[in-house]
Amino acid sequence: MTPDTDVSATVRPVGPAQIAAVGFAFGDLRLAAGAVAQGWGRGGGRGITSVCAHDEDVLTLSAEAAHQALDHAGVDPATVDGLWWGTTRPPFAEGPSHSVLAAALGLSDRSAGALVSGSTHAGMDALLAAADAIGAGSARTALVVVADTLRPGPGTAFEARAGAGAAAIVLTADGGAAALGSRVTRTRPLLDRYRGDGEATTRDIYDPRMFREQIFLPAIREVAEQLAALSPRAWSLPDPDGRMGPLVAKQLGVADALTSQLVFATVGDCGAAAALIGGIAGLDAPGVVAIVGFGGGRTTGVTITASAPVPGAAGLSAALAAGTEIDYPAALRARGDLVAAGETVPMGVPPQSAMFVRGAYEMLGLLAARCVDCGTFNTPPSIHPVCLSCGGSKFDAVELSRRGIVHTFVINQTMPAPFVAPLPIAVIDLDDGARIMTQVIGDGHDLSIDTRVELVLRRYARERGVPVYGLKARALEPAAKE
Amino acid sequence: MAWNRVAVVGAGLIKFGELFDQSYEQMSQGAFRAACDSVDKGFDPAQVDAVFVATQRGTLWGQEGIAGNTVPSAIGLAGIPCTRIENACPSGSDAFRVGAMAVASGVHDIVLVIGVEKMRDKSAEEGLLARAAAGHPILTRGETAPVLFAPFATRHMHEFGTTREMLASVAVKNHYNGARDPYAHFRNEITIEDVIASPPVCTPLHLLDCCPQTDGASAVLLVNTERAGEFTDRAVYVAGFGVATDHPYLHEKSTFTSLTTTVLAAERAYEMAGIGPSDIDSAEVHDCFTITEILDIEDLGFFEKGKGGIASLEGETSLTGPIPINTSGGLLAKGHPIGATGVAQITECWWQLRGQAEERQVETRNGYALQHNVGGRGSGVSVVNILTTNRS
Repeated sequence: MTPDTDVSATVRPVGPAQIAAVGFAFGDLRLAAGAVAQGWGRGGGRGITSVCAHDEDVLTLSAEAAHQALDHAGVDPATVDGLWWGTTRPPFAEGPSHSVLAAALGLSDRSAGALVSGSTHAGMDALLAAADAIGAGSARTALVVVADTLRPGPGTAFEARAGAGAAAIVLTADGGAAALGSRVTRTRPLLDRYRGDGEATTRDIYDPRMFREQIFLPAIREVAEQLAALSPRAWSLPDPDGRMGPLVAKQLGVADALTSQLVFATVGDCGAAAALIGGIAGLDAPGVVAIVGFGGGRTTGVTITASAPVPGAAGLSAALAAGTEIDYPAALRARGDLVAAGETVPMGVPPQSAMFVRGAYEMLGLLAARCVDCGTFNTPPSIHPVCLSCGGSKFDAVELSRRGIVHTFVINQTMPAPFVAPLPIAVIDLDDGARIMTQVIGDGHDLSIDTRVELVLRRYARERGVPVYGLKARALEPAAKE
Repeated sequence: MAWNRVAVVGAGLIKFGELFDQSYEQMSQGAFRAACDSVDKGFDPAQVDAVFVATQRGTLWGQEGIAGNTVPSAIGLAGIPCTRIENACPSGSDAFRVGAMAVASGVHDIVLVIGVEKMRDKSAEEGLLARAAAGHPILTRGETAPVLFAPFATRHMHEFGTTREMLASVAVKNHYNGARDPYAHFRNEITIEDVIASPPVCTPLHLLDCCPQTDGASAVLLVNTERAGEFTDRAVYVAGFGVATDHPYLHEKSTFTSLTTTVLAAERAYEMAGIGPSDIDSAEVHDCFTITEILDIEDLGFFEKGKGGIASLEGETSLTGPIPINTSGGLLAKGHPIGATGVAQITECWWQLRGQAEERQVETRNGYALQHNVGGRGSGVSVVNILTTNRS
């Protein structure tokens, strides 16, 4: 190896990528470490983790974070040049994960990008790959989404810390509120947390003391020390056990600037998303933020210099504080670790069948055929060859509003597995005048006629190994009434 | 002037219930025999020219292959023409209408209309509830039968002040009637408190707001009016009928306080019979859920829109009220074996018009009884048949 190729020890500029806006999302549920300990007959446990509700997964969290970031950036999804998505848990081990997310976000069918996986380092890989695309000129607007819904082994120490979250960043060639600054990577072929091929759950660290002394502290400290030279005002550092992150920060003398600590304490370790969520926590004010991501033997540090508060960053603390607290059995059910015995009712239309080909876009988005003659919205288009109102057959393809009010609703309490009761279902009058009927997130306690709702992507079913996604309504807080 | 080209000369049913010990074929034979036995001057089964069979959903017992040749074989008439009619919950009432048209056309003189449904061979989860996963994978995901009607209850309560007690009063009245019907699935009386305290099924509907899953069969014999005298001196005539359809998905509805298919079907039936709602002496209407009966009695013109709930609570639809509704116990108490339901309703109308309803007998002032079903995805189809004892 010649000295000039030994780049990993050197802090290098990332390139010209700017950050236009950010977004984030967490699983709807919150599980206290104490509740996990109680479930196993142990005492103690500090901190809270976020857990996906039964109809959430890495793709729905990714979609929600991405929508927020695109909204804050004022970017039309159709103009995004590519989606760079980093996660250890793509919804298909092999399959159309990236294309389904791209379609659900309304990206162009010409959009590029990549799905990066393999370790929790995938989040940093996605960010830098997108930045490189902008640097190379192959993309002017890049959407970076980092997300994870870690699935720990029941009974492991890691179980009380494994979280579910996503962050999204809209990168542009210019004009952002913040700019990527420097990068540094170190790599060693060593095991930390891992999941073997075909294994369902992530294995916990083998020997915590050996891991801390021989792997974690040296790698993180070495990368972090190089970033420290840039005097960051905020730090995001990995924290596998609730102690090692603060320990590194203390050794670096930046304990007071560790913005990631609150994130780990309130939503747990969000895997490939953890580093960037912790970094976003520091983007609500001007200054330099240092972000260190870790996983699969690789450690990467990046600095971001904000010239102004980054749009979207300020909402993080409210999102961290949201969520519904659940007990341990509820978490096991939501995670799919506690499943009732017996048969489940199969979906009448298999996800591999032609109807999913015909309806690919209209099931993921909210598409309608608007009658040219009378203006009636016909939705979904594939089952309406003629207008419901006037029988006309000339249509404009339109995307419907994602907000509206409840016209009427029910709460279905009686369904066979795999359905989860209570299931609210509502007829909704959208702001643009269209009417739809859809499932509603939650137990329906917050629903009444005229409740304002928004539509978000959720997983309707997992059928023959295929996650089936569609939009569901979510009641907006009264404060959000427009 | 009523249509009256076709006479009903026989009608009958088997006792509805969870008929685990009877096959589809045995139920068919039981209903056919009951209809034959009811004919005043006797009836030789070999006189049947053609059969129209209503069976809505063979998947409910795992035998979707059932077809128009199953029933003739089961009842000893293999060889004769037979057609199966599937038209959602109105399958039985539509088979009756189609049978009447077959007779009126002159092609057949004597037609058997038989409705048969096996609903309890499979568990509830694998039977009717499995429709939660059928249909469109997103649009109708989770849509069990109550989801098609409960949104109307929510909205009716919101717009007209209809209360849970008003809904419950429908179930109370129909169970009272069912307790007096030897063919009913449930023959116990209940209270408003029972209904409200029963477990929620699909808010705002509770268990006793919902009809049960029931096995059953019913049959009627139709003959050309010119030949009715060969079989009876007390014939009941088909005065008129109407069918209507609507868009199938709930998001395509313009109103959630009315089932527009019922309104249209009723208009057509009244016009054909040359009468109006006030001429009807009693009616068997589609009470799959309590809210459905409230919608029905408004949409059929018996009560002003919005007044169906209070009318029910105040007893206006009871056996002694101005317009007795569901004297048989209705779907709520007698049961709803889908294909058989409409035919069994016709049978109750036939008994009422002939004065044979025993404890349930109502006063027949004008000689008209109405039968109604509504169903399908999004209540997208409704059938109304009107019977009369008035020869012209």
